[in-house]
Amino acid sequence: MTTNAEELELKDRLSLIETMIAEGRRTTERYGWVFVLWGVAYYIAIAWASIGPDYLAWPITMTVSAALTGIIFSSKCRKRPKTTISRAMASIWIAMGISMFVLFTALGWSGKLEDNHIFIAIAAAMLGTANATSSMTLKWKLQFVCALIWWVTAAVSCFGSASRSSMTFLVAIFLCQIVFGIYLIIAEASQRGKAALHA
Amino acid sequence: MPELPELNPVIHGKLRLALLSLLIGVEEAEFTWLRAKTDSTDGNLGAQLAKLEEAGYVAVEKKFVQRKPQTLYHITEAGRQAFLEYVQALKELLGAAI
Repeated sequence: MTTNAEELELKDRLSLIETMIAEGRRTTERYGWVFVLWGVAYYIAIAWASIGPDYLAWPITMTVSAALTGIIFSSKCRKRPKTTISRAMASIWIAMGISMFVLFTALGWSGKLEDNHIFIAIAAAMLGTANATSSMTLKWKLQFVCALIWWVTAAVSCFGSASRSSMTFLVAIFLCQIVFGIYLIIAEASQRGKAALHA
Repeated sequence: MPELPELNPVIHGKLRLALLSLLIGVEEAEFTWLRAKTDSTDGNLGAQLAKLEEAGYVAVEKKFVQRKPQTLYHITEAGRQAFLEYVQALKELLGAAI
């Protein structure tokens, strides 16, 4: 049997283990800015495509956004530890980005991307898939709502008029990228504030 | 009366235990991240990590990222096993108290 002092010491060790494991696994990534950045990028590409050559607007805007995301991520996340979850999250979004880039570039250059309904339906369905996969992995209901919005947008784009599908796409970008991104930034800032108070 | 298990002295040190607990939850972690999480000094942290490395519980990788040196640590299989055995022994010692 252990004495009371020893028991306290051992309990202290056990509690230290629990705290440190939780600390290591805590999601410290800050994703809010990525959603806002890509939301703004979509709006820029849509605006550019409506006034200029759309075969240039999307590839250039998306390439610049991808490069910006990569640069900011590599500087922000350099000191963060690698976890299986963070690698899974990165894989989902990188794979989706590459799929979109390859598909839309090929469709654009081959001249088969003339119907805007198809573009919106594919883009929205892919964004819905990525958001749903991410939300199910992180058990995050709010992001699943974003996935649902993207899937509804994809379906509306197949049945609605050109103006209705474009409007739905713009609203989905606003809700799932800009509003969701700003919500994340605020939530992350308040979490950092709480962590600083407890430090 | 059954014999009570002994606690591994290499892991039992508070900072070394904190380091292994942190490393068990991640694939790899940088020296500066471990320093921030454990609130320790460079010297003490380096010394404790060296002890864990000597015991074969952690492995170190040094590289340059964007021309800046980066020291990455990860827990080894032996370290993972020793940590799990330590936790088991701790639980057995505490018995009904937890």
